[in-house]
Amino acid sequence: MAGSRNETIKDRSNYLRGTIAEGLENAITGALDDDDTQLTKFHGIYQQDDRDLRPERGRKKLEKAFSFMARVRIPGGVLTPAQWRALDAIAGTFAGGQLRLTTRQAVQFHHVIKNNLKASIAAINAALLDTLAACGDVNRNVMCDANPHRGALHAEAQALAAELSAHLLPHTRAYHEIWLDGDKIITTEAEADENEPIYGKFYLPRKFKIAVALPPENDVDVLTNDLGFVAIIEAGAIIGYDVTVGGGMGTTHGDASTFPRLADTLGFCLKHQAVAVAEAVVKAQRDHGNRQERKNARLKYTVERMGLAAFHDAVAGHLGYHLPPGRGFIFTSMGDGFGWVAGDDGLWHLGLSILAGRVNDTETRRLRTALREVASLDIGDFRLTGNQNLVIARIPSEYRQRIEAILAGHGVPITESGLRRDAMACVALPTCGLALAESERFLPRLLERLGAVQARHGLTEQRITLRMTGCPNGCARPFNAEIGLVGRSPGHYALYLGASPLGTRLNTPHAPDLDEDGIIDTLDRLFGQYAATRADGEHFGDWASHALTPPSQ
Amino acid sequence: MTRAASALAGLPETAPFPAEQIALLNSVLAGASHVQRAWLSGFLAGLDAGSPQSLPASPPAARPKLAILFASESGNAEALAASAKKAASRQGFAATVHDLADISLDQLATMRDVMVFASTWGEGDPPQRVETVFAALMSPRAPRLDQMRFAVLGLGDRAYPKFCAVAEAIDGRLAALGATRLVPMLACDVDYQQAATGWIGTTLTSFAPERMDAEIIPLETRRPPSPALPQANRPFAATITEHINLHSSRSSAETVHLELSLAESGITYEPGDALAVQAKNHPAMVEALLHATGHAGNAALAETLLTGRDITTLTPPMLATYADLSNDAALRALVENKQAAADWIASHLVIDLLRAAPAKPSAEALLAMLRPLPPRYYSIASSQKAVGDQADLLVALFSFQHETETRHGVASHYLTRQLRRGDTVPVWVKPNPHFRLPADPTRPVIMIGPGTGVAPFRAFLQDRRETGATGRNWLFFGHRNYTHDFLYQLEWQDAHKDGLLTRIDLAFSRDQPEKIYVQHRLWQQRAALLDWLADGAHLYVCGDRRMGQAIDATLARILTGAGRDAEQEMAALRQQGRYLKDVY
Repeated sequence: MAGSRNETIKDRSNYLRGTIAEGLENAITGALDDDDTQLTKFHGIYQQDDRDLRPERGRKKLEKAFSFMARVRIPGGVLTPAQWRALDAIAGTFAGGQLRLTTRQAVQFHHVIKNNLKASIAAINAALLDTLAACGDVNRNVMCDANPHRGALHAEAQALAAELSAHLLPHTRAYHEIWLDGDKIITTEAEADENEPIYGKFYLPRKFKIAVALPPENDVDVLTNDLGFVAIIEAGAIIGYDVTVGGGMGTTHGDASTFPRLADTLGFCLKHQAVAVAEAVVKAQRDHGNRQERKNARLKYTVERMGLAAFHDAVAGHLGYHLPPGRGFIFTSMGDGFGWVAGDDGLWHLGLSILAGRVNDTETRRLRTALREVASLDIGDFRLTGNQNLVIARIPSEYRQRIEAILAGHGVPITESGLRRDAMACVALPTCGLALAESERFLPRLLERLGAVQARHGLTEQRITLRMTGCPNGCARPFNAEIGLVGRSPGHYALYLGASPLGTRLNTPHAPDLDEDGIIDTLDRLFGQYAATRADGEHFGDWASHALTPPSQ
Repeated sequence: MTRAASALAGLPETAPFPAEQIALLNSVLAGASHVQRAWLSGFLAGLDAGSPQSLPASPPAARPKLAILFASESGNAEALAASAKKAASRQGFAATVHDLADISLDQLATMRDVMVFASTWGEGDPPQRVETVFAALMSPRAPRLDQMRFAVLGLGDRAYPKFCAVAEAIDGRLAALGATRLVPMLACDVDYQQAATGWIGTTLTSFAPERMDAEIIPLETRRPPSPALPQANRPFAATITEHINLHSSRSSAETVHLELSLAESGITYEPGDALAVQAKNHPAMVEALLHATGHAGNAALAETLLTGRDITTLTPPMLATYADLSNDAALRALVENKQAAADWIASHLVIDLLRAAPAKPSAEALLAMLRPLPPRYYSIASSQKAVGDQADLLVALFSFQHETETRHGVASHYLTRQLRRGDTVPVWVKPNPHFRLPADPTRPVIMIGPGTGVAPFRAFLQDRRETGATGRNWLFFGHRNYTHDFLYQLEWQDAHKDGLLTRIDLAFSRDQPEKIYVQHRLWQQRAALLDWLADGAHLYVCGDRRMGQAIDATLARILTGAGRDAEQEMAALRQQGRYLKDVY
């Protein structure tokens, strides 16, 4: 099969083994072989290097400052306190003392050097977690609504997320062999289908993302996923799911063949059909996705190219039947709630805003220590949200004061205000190889300046989604935010405006290239107009979508 | 040449020289002592003996034998032994020089007249090559030495509590075994040269019988030392052509790679040699000293202190001197308590003493109290075959905390922080003949060099590349963090890629919760190590002294674990020159 370079690598990899194991033994370099770095993604591991240090390395007779990002697969983002403590310990021992909560409810470790990779993965495994398929051309971490106060409904949605994640895992033993010293299993061509009955040896053409939403909340931003399951609730119970296909964010600057897209509804499925439907959609994409051009390989392009009906036929070919039309759903929010909320079972849930998902200790705000101490109480659980925030869930009321005291004692605020509540940023520099501009490191300063602008226009209490990425790949889903900022070059961003605050309408380009002051000045002006002319209760994104004429292309 | 030639001492006019040369010779001979004249006659006989057209030399008179032993680490004791030999030969002794490391107790028992030059390291340790024989000498199995006459000179550093402990132990032990102490032991501090030269003269006189004949001096037929070659009192000002901290900017360590131009210096060196550097003090420290002693603005004193005196290291005599000078009760009390004084010296600098008890010593008193600033030696990190008229150094900035203040080592601060590309630095070569690549280019080489200890091994690898040596090369390196402290990483990668560097094992102590050091890697690779040794590998260790001791212990454990006699095998390896250390 002729295809992109990655297709050849997958083909030759012997089911994702490549020469990773040999590369780990080679101590003279902190890097792995180039081709192997494509394969480790399927194992949830990205090779990166500290781009801040690049200019000095060669002069100092040092190779690039290589390290690895390891992403833990956490379906629906649910962790026990013991698991949180284990991940915290890994962060302290191997990952520079920080955890990153991702935009897909996973935890990422950065700065893990090659020599510590196996020990890190082993420690993750000991916590009954893994990094398998957290990246790569396979189904990634499955997202789920993170509002446990919704009791049984939420539990059911969460169970589906976990089941989908498990069902779509690669079958290769490579992960166990390489990272956990599992026995090596010789794989022959004849065994190929046994090994990967769903994916086959070429796996998918590109990454694949699934989310489960529980209307009226859309905190998982379901329509940005390749595949979505939106719960249809009748009489307080889930009767099935509307299946959505073809969402995705990634684009390439200046390449019109790439574009962000929100998913279409394929149809409705009953609860017991959901896993089979997911498998059929994955297989249809496996068969019809573009394997020549990686930047056009996501399911959104397959659906766009084939048309929804033809794609539905392809799914039905695997499923054995077509889905009936969707039932329809209404979202009323996309953000997270903060502070305490009681569930229908009397337990309490504490929503915490964690800017850009960075859990670490600073002099004034010891978030990581505080969360470790909360986890040491060994009650409830930890739930990561799709907006990089955290819910300390299922807390008996008698513990509320104690938890508040721990947080206060370490300078961690329970409530946040302004844009911080609905802001997201990808990791970008210095570790991400794709970043064209700063993102997470720039966000706090930008928010501080914008906060002043907001206040000046009396908008501090208005919730506005703001999402920033260092490149158009779109990890923080910038094209589905009321304010989207996408890095173009160091210090420069494209500004996108006009998305729905509910995740149901993409934004459009407003200004192609703004520096920090340009962003502030532009939003200052627009906030002024918005405050003066908005309809009662109208969100910024909705206002912008009709008030602003997109510049001609 | 004011002294006229006297008829008594002069050459006859009939001598086969032109008249002006006779006058010149007479002018020299007139002032010459008996010893000088005896030496000259020996020299001239030797000169003829070494030339092809020579006449048969007259049979030498029976000369008294003198064995000169040295226990040397950095080469200072060895150099003194060599100069003692020259002086002894001048005075008519049949002197031989021996490395104590190569002497068995049986051989020692046969010696009659013996001079010993012994250095002391660290916490009273003998030089590592001498450890075995030193232990044997101190053990109950040491033979009686009733016929021996001896004199011991110790080299050490008064800043350490066990100053010259090794020499004292040898001096005491020889006497205890029945030998006769001819001259009291002399304990020399870092500025030993003058005292040692005087002691050598006195001691030779004591050893000398009533009448001595001059020796016929064998000519140095190898490379005659060129008088122009830079040396301690005549360093070469080498221009720094590269000066770069090899650690990442995220590292807590600072190790600078320097490239020094030796163009026009005539300097040559071999892999393993060290470069001596005459450092300067930190100008701020000089200023502080001047202020503390009331000499602020004394430019001449400042200049002397800057280059001529060790203005940081304290010693017990200095403490005592200053206690008297300042007449400070607390200091006097401190001097009385030896342990407390030693502890205080170990954790303070001269400036702390001056500030602890302010006094206004005269410039002369201040200078007299301070020791000369000794040169520092750095293993050369390059091979001349690869870099030509250049020498590379690898210098780690030595830092330590004193209360809230960060302090630095004098020479390392000078080289890493005060000097820049384009500056010059006074240097000369200090040969290290005991740390050489195997003469046989097919021999495998194992090099253990964490931190700056890797410097000579960079030279070794460069040399082996240039000479096309086919022996395998195995490097052990270690530091704190892989990403930020992997000195010369790209060079090792190149060497590994083209097959020169056969293996590399790395120990980064701070990358994981448990501290991993090179000795742990050595233990992990013990099977391969034994294979390499069985194939005739030479094992080299360079770096921190304690690391060297840990390697000793690990090697012993590896050999013992393989069911072998570790002590015997390690002694054999040392004897064969296959286990060499350069530790500091």
